[in-house]
Amino acid sequence: MEKVSFESVKTGMVLAPVVHYVNQETFWKYAVGSFDYNPVHNDAEWVKTAMPFKIPKTVAHGMITMSFMTSVVTNWAVPAMLRVSKIVSKFTKPVEQEWTITCTGVISEKHYISKGKNYVVVDVKAENQAKDLVGLSQIEVVFPD
Amino acid sequence: MTQDKLPAYYKELAKYFKTEKAKRFSTNFFTDAENYEVWDEIDFENLQEVDGENTFTIKAEDMKAYAEGCLDNNPYMTDEEFAKKSPYGGLVPHPIFTTTIAFWCVGIKGRGNWIRTPGARNPGQYHEYYENFKVGETIHIKLRPYGRYEKRGKYYLQYKIDMYNQNNVLKASSISTLILPRTRDDIRKFLKGIRGLKD
Repeated sequence: MEKVSFESVKTGMVLAPVVHYVNQETFWKYAVGSFDYNPVHNDAEWVKTAMPFKIPKTVAHGMITMSFMTSVVTNWAVPAMLRVSKIVSKFTKPVEQEWTITCTGVISEKHYISKGKNYVVVDVKAENQAKDLVGLSQIEVVFPD
Repeated sequence: MTQDKLPAYYKELAKYFKTEKAKRFSTNFFTDAENYEVWDEIDFENLQEVDGENTFTIKAEDMKAYAEGCLDNNPYMTDEEFAKKSPYGGLVPHPIFTTTIAFWCVGIKGRGNWIRTPGARNPGQYHEYYENFKVGETIHIKLRPYGRYEKRGKYYLQYKIDMYNQNNVLKASSISTLILPRTRDDIRKFLKGIRGLKD
């Protein structure tokens, strides 16, 4: 447990990245954890012709990309007793099997409201191994005191 | 909620069934898909809030299964003993655990079942959190149509989903957005393995 004060946090501060390799096993495991069994993530035969994303392959859940991006922030915030209060995410490219997704975050805004309501905004991006952008998030974190 | 006709890859999924809910949840999103709500049929004259089909009583195994599913090994989310000794006094949910709650609570026949639509695409999501979910809470959801629009040939549908505990404390809200097949015929194409989108 490492206490972090609002005063000690600076804009531009970089958080530790989260890196994950994903494959079909990852998609199945995430489907079970989230109850999102959409066939575009799970059914290799169906997607060959149905192709919602115009590619004949299963793709990762958008919500696992959002989770990876969020983990960049929770890895820092949860041990420090800070609370995630808002997440706005956008997915820019479907994530394919056997990609490695790297999520990086930087504190971009610091909001001085009042004690217990002060918060920061963390800009997080997710990229594949070719540095193609696959997702973006803005995540707000509230400081309790 | 019971298992129905099993998909061919069911054995692969079943390897990861660890929770009581995972063993009961319907993994076949084609089941009743003919009856899912459809983009061009939803009544935006009636914006009344409705209850979800099911409630979700949170067990530690549910929170852990979500964290493990998104490959997060944060001990506050996965190690009950560690979390109990922390100032939190128990497991902390991964924020996107709300996905699990939403799919469970919407169910198969309830309003908002379009989140199960084969062929749906996820453009991005908006979530707000007011309090951490806790093990032992029983969550119910209220949902209502929020937005429906066309952009660059794609058809977007949005519902607002509010999540409350058993004491009616609002824990989290989201604006759930998907790009959907526009018509019931488009969905029927997807059910036959035919692309039901024009973009």
